[in-house]
Amino acid sequence: MENGIPDSQNPKPKPRPIVRIGIFLISHNVFFSVVCCIGGILALFLLPLMAKNTYISENALMPGSANPMFSRYDAMEANKLVKSVMAMSLKPEETRIQIARLLAQRMEESGAEVYHHKFHEKISQFRPLHFFSDTPYTGSLLQNTSATRGLNTVGIIRAPRGDGKEAIVFVTPYNSTKIELNEALSLGLGYSVFSLLSRVTWLAKDIVWLAADSQYGEYASVAAWLRDYHTPVFDGPESKENPTSGAGNTDVFRRAGTMAAALVIKVVEKHGETEKDTLSIYAEASNGQMPNLDLINTVHYLAVHTQGLRVKVEKVYTLLNLAWLQVMGQILESVSKVARSLNPQWKFGMPAAEYVDGTATLASSLYYQALGVPTGSHGAFRDYQVDAVTLEISPKSFLNNEGRRTEFLLRGGRLMESVVRSVNNLLEKFHQSFFLYLMTSPSKFVSVGVYMIAFLLLLVPLPIAAAALYSSSTKDNQVPAFASTAKPGVLKSWRWLHAAKVVFIIHLWSTIVSLLPSLIDHIPEMTPTNNILIWASSSIFILLILYSMLGSPYSYPTTSGSRNSEWATLKSVMIAVASIGLGLMSIINYATAQIGAILMVPMCLIVHPLRLTGRSGNLKDFLLIACNLVLAVIGFPPAGLLVIKGWSEGVGGLNVGDFWIWAESLWAWNSATYLYVILIHFPCWVLCMHILLHPC
Amino acid sequence: MASHKPNSELRQSEFRCLFGRRMALLILLVALVASITGKSDATSSASFSSSSTMHTNNWAVLVCTSRFWFNYRHMANTLSLYRTVKRLGIPDERIILMLADDMACNTRNNYPAQVFNNENHRLNLYGDNVEVDYRGYEVTVENFLRVLTGRHETAVPRSKRLLSDEGSHILLYMTGHGGDEFLKFQDSEELQSHDLADAVKQMKEKLRFKELLIMVDTCQAATLFNQLHSPGVLAIGSSMKGENSYSHHLDSDIGVSVVDRFTYYTLAFFERLNTYSNASMSSFFNSFVPSLLLSTAYYRTDLYQRPPAEVPVTNFFGSVMETIHTDSSYKGFSSKKTSSAKIGIPMNQADEIERRTLASTDAENHITESNLEVEENTIFHFISSIWNKVEQIENIDAVVNYGLVAMLPLAVLSTWILR
Repeated sequence: MENGIPDSQNPKPKPRPIVRIGIFLISHNVFFSVVCCIGGILALFLLPLMAKNTYISENALMPGSANPMFSRYDAMEANKLVKSVMAMSLKPEETRIQIARLLAQRMEESGAEVYHHKFHEKISQFRPLHFFSDTPYTGSLLQNTSATRGLNTVGIIRAPRGDGKEAIVFVTPYNSTKIELNEALSLGLGYSVFSLLSRVTWLAKDIVWLAADSQYGEYASVAAWLRDYHTPVFDGPESKENPTSGAGNTDVFRRAGTMAAALVIKVVEKHGETEKDTLSIYAEASNGQMPNLDLINTVHYLAVHTQGLRVKVEKVYTLLNLAWLQVMGQILESVSKVARSLNPQWKFGMPAAEYVDGTATLASSLYYQALGVPTGSHGAFRDYQVDAVTLEISPKSFLNNEGRRTEFLLRGGRLMESVVRSVNNLLEKFHQSFFLYLMTSPSKFVSVGVYMIAFLLLLVPLPIAAAALYSSSTKDNQVPAFASTAKPGVLKSWRWLHAAKVVFIIHLWSTIVSLLPSLIDHIPEMTPTNNILIWASSSIFILLILYSMLGSPYSYPTTSGSRNSEWATLKSVMIAVASIGLGLMSIINYATAQIGAILMVPMCLIVHPLRLTGRSGNLKDFLLIACNLVLAVIGFPPAGLLVIKGWSEGVGGLNVGDFWIWAESLWAWNSATYLYVILIHFPCWVLCMHILLHPC
Repeated sequence: MASHKPNSELRQSEFRCLFGRRMALLILLVALVASITGKSDATSSASFSSSSTMHTNNWAVLVCTSRFWFNYRHMANTLSLYRTVKRLGIPDERIILMLADDMACNTRNNYPAQVFNNENHRLNLYGDNVEVDYRGYEVTVENFLRVLTGRHETAVPRSKRLLSDEGSHILLYMTGHGGDEFLKFQDSEELQSHDLADAVKQMKEKLRFKELLIMVDTCQAATLFNQLHSPGVLAIGSSMKGENSYSHHLDSDIGVSVVDRFTYYTLAFFERLNTYSNASMSSFFNSFVPSLLLSTAYYRTDLYQRPPAEVPVTNFFGSVMETIHTDSSYKGFSSKKTSSAKIGIPMNQADEIERRTLASTDAENHITESNLEVEENTIFHFISSIWNKVEQIENIDAVVNYGLVAMLPLAVLSTWILR
C-alpha cells in the first residue's frame, strides 16, 4: 500500500511472526489438539504433586502466640450446661422454648446483650429473576406462617475498649425439637468460650454467639439471621411501642460491627478412626467460593500445633482404592526418584500413598466447588463476603464418657479461644492469602495460578480447531461454490451466517428450557419423575416450534457440494461459542468449568458426521464412531449424572427423577452450575448431536 | 536576634563563656580584625571553631517507625531506649520521642496503658513520665527529616524541635522494618539511606551536632549507613546486608513479641551502667554476640575522629560533659576539683532552654550576667589563689604537724585567759 513500487521488485513481504505461528498451529491442529487435551488431563492429575504447603500469610494473625486462658473450670461450666440441656430434652414438648430461655439466661449472666431472633422456614422456589440474589421475606409471608417459627438465641459481647465496628461470630447449631448429646456439647462449648470472652481484656472486636435453631436445617437458620442482620428495618411505629428497648428486652434485634470471620462449631460422634480427637474443616460455600486460606491455615495451625488434634478435610474415599491411581502414584514416585538422582535440587516427588490421598482430597475439593452448593451453614456467611468455616470436632472416645468429656471440651474450648484471639488481632478483613484454591490435604493447597494451567491446556485447542475448520471449509468449497453460484464474493464471507443462526436458535432454546422449571414448579402434586418428563417433552416441543418458525437447519437450500462443508462451518461456530462459554464459566466457578471442559472439549473436537465416517469400514473410522457415541452419551447432562451416581452409589437406586431433584437443589442454592449445564453444556451437546446426525 | 549589638562584643562574650579569659582575649583580637576587614559573618567564624567546639549538650531522637499491634516490640524497643537515656541523664526536653502507634491503648493490649519489654512484666515502660513528641500518623519521613534538619513550620512548638547546636552529641535511634538501604515508615513510606545521609549532611552544614551516633535496629540495618559521608558520625546497626533482625522473645500473656534481640542486648549492656560509668563505645560494640543476636551487629567508625575505645558510652547515651574549670562564669563548679573529673550534671533547666537557642541570644544573656558578677569575681579570684597556694605546698604532713604544735600554745593561752 504505502510503497507504490510494483511487487515484482521486492518479494512478497513475510507475514508477522504471530501470524505465522497462528498459521502453523492451524495447519497442525489435530496433533496440537491431541497434545493439549492429553496435557490438560495429565496436568490435572499432577496437581497434587504441585501443591504447596500452606503458610500464614497475614502477619497480624500471630496464631498461637498467646497462651489460651480457657481452663478446666470453663470446661466444667460447659459440662454443667450440657447436663441441664440434656435434662430438658427429656420433656420434649417444652424443650424448644426452654433451651432458648436457658441460653439467654446464661448469656445475660455473663454480661452480654441477648435477644431472640424468630425466623421462618425458607421455601425453596426457582425464581429466575432472583437467581443470584437471595429473595427477601415479604410481609405477608411473615403473618401467614407465624406458626412455624425457628428461634435463634443471640448474645453479643461488646469489646470493652473496642470501637464496635467489627465482630467475630461463632455459631452452634442445635435442633430445638430433638436435641442430641453432641449438639448439647456444642452449645456447652459455645457457652463456655463465650463466658470466658466476656471476661477477657484483649477484645478488639465484638463477639457474637449465635445458638442457631436448626429444626429447619442448619443453613436456613443462619441464613435467616444473617439476612436480618444485614437488612436493617426502619419501621417507626413499632419502635415507639417499645420505649424500653434497653438491655432487658430480648426481642429487639441487635447488631455488632461487620463480621471479620465466623466459625461454625459442631460436635460430632465418629468412632473407631483414630487415637486422637479429630477436627474436620468444611469451607466450600456457594458457587465454589472459599474463605480466605489464612482462616483455614490459622485453624489448622492451632489445631495441630497447640491442641494436638488430627485435622481432616473431605475426600472421595472411593478413589483411595482405585488401582490405576495407585499405579500412577508409584510411577510418579519412581520418576521423582530418578529425577533426584540426576539432580538433587529437583524435589517434586511424594510417596504414592500420599499422592493417592492428595488426589482423593483434590477430587472432593473440585466436586464440592463445582456443585456450587455450600457444605454447611458457613456458606451463608460467604454470601455476605464473610470468611467462615465449619469446624466439626469429634472426640476419640464416646461422648457419654464423662471423664473424657472434660478433656475434650478443654481442647475444643482452647482451640476456639485461640482462633478468636488470632482473628481478633486482624486489622483488616482477610485479604493476604488466597481465595481461589483447591485443597489437596489440610496443609497443602493448589493456587489459582497452578490449576488454571490444566484448564487452559484443555481450552486452547478449541479456538484453534474452530479456526482450522473454518479455513478448511472455505478452502474446500472455493471451487464448487464459484461454479454453482453466480455471486462468489457474497457467499465466501457470509458462509458462517447460516451456522451462526443455527447455533443462536439452539442457545435461545436452551435459555427457554432453563426457565421452564419455574413454571413446572407451580404445578401441584408432582413427582420428580413426572416433572422431568414434562420438562423434557415441553423442551422438545419448543424446539420443534422454533424450527418451524425460524427454519430448520436441514432446510438450508444448498447443493450437495457445499453441504459437505456445512457441518464443518457449524462445528467451528459451535466450538467457538463453547470456548467462550467455558472461558466465562471458569471466571465464575473454576471447578465447574474444569469438569465441564473434561467432558465437553473431547466431545466438541472429535464430533464428526456419522454418515461421512460410515462410508469406509476400516478400524480408524470404527474407533471414531465409538468415541463419538461414548462421548455423546456421557456428555448428555442427565446421562452423565446417572453414570456418576450409578458408579458411586450402585446401579440399583437409579431413577430418571434424580436429575430433577439434582437440578432443584442447584437452583435452590443459586448455583451457577445449573446455568452452566443448561446454557452452555446442554446446547453444545445438542449441536454435537446435530453434527453427528448431519445428512451430508 | 541580637543584631543591634556590635559584632565584636558578641564574639567576645560568646567565647569567653566557653574558653575562659585568655582564650577570649585572643579571640577578641581575631574577631576585631575580622570585623575591621568586614568579613565577619557568623558562619565563617563559627565553622572555624566547629571542629574544636566543646561538647555542650546531649540530645536523643528515638524513632519507632512501625504501626500495628503485631509490631508491639518496636514501640517497646524505643520506650526501653527512652527510659535508658533518661536514666543516664538526658532530660525529657532534649529527647524527641517518635512513636508511630499507641500500643499502650490498643484494645488488644492485655494490660491497658502499660507496655512491657519483658515477659516478667517487672518494668512498665509506659509509666507516668513519658513524653511522646510525635505520635501516630505524625511519624512520617517528612517530619523525621524536619526534626533532623530543623526546618519546621513556624507553628511547631519548641518541644517538638531538635534544638541542638554545634557542640551537641546526638543519639539517633530507629527501629522498625527495614530492607536494603531503606527503612519503612508507617507501612506506607520509606526512608532511604540517601535521605538519611542527606539529612545528616545538612545537619553538619547547619552546625546542628558535634557528634552523632546512629543506632538502627531493623533487618539489613547496616545498609542504611551506606551513603553517610559526614564527619563526626558513628553508626551501629543490628544486622548486615541480607540478614534479618529477630525478636528476642514472645510474651505469651500479651500474645506478641515484646523486644528485639539487638535492643534487648543493648539494654542488658546499659542496665549495668550508671551516669558515672566509664564503659567505652568499643566495649559497647563488642558486647554484641552474633550467636545471641542471630545477626551480625555492624558498626561504622570511619567517619568518627576519636577512637571509640576512648569515648565513654555516656557521651551519647547520657548527658555527661567534660567540665572545665573557669574562674568566672561557672563559679558553682570552680570550687570543686575539676581538672579531669567527669561528673554528670543535669543543668539548671531555665539555663538550659536559653542555651538551646541560637548562639547570639545565648551570648547576649551572658553579657548581662557578667556585669552582675564583676564584684564577686574579685573575691573569688582571691579565694582561688589561696587554694592554688595550698595546693603548691608539698609536705602536707609537716604542715599538719606544725599546725598541731602551734595549736598547743594557743590552747594554753586561751585557758589562761578564761580563767
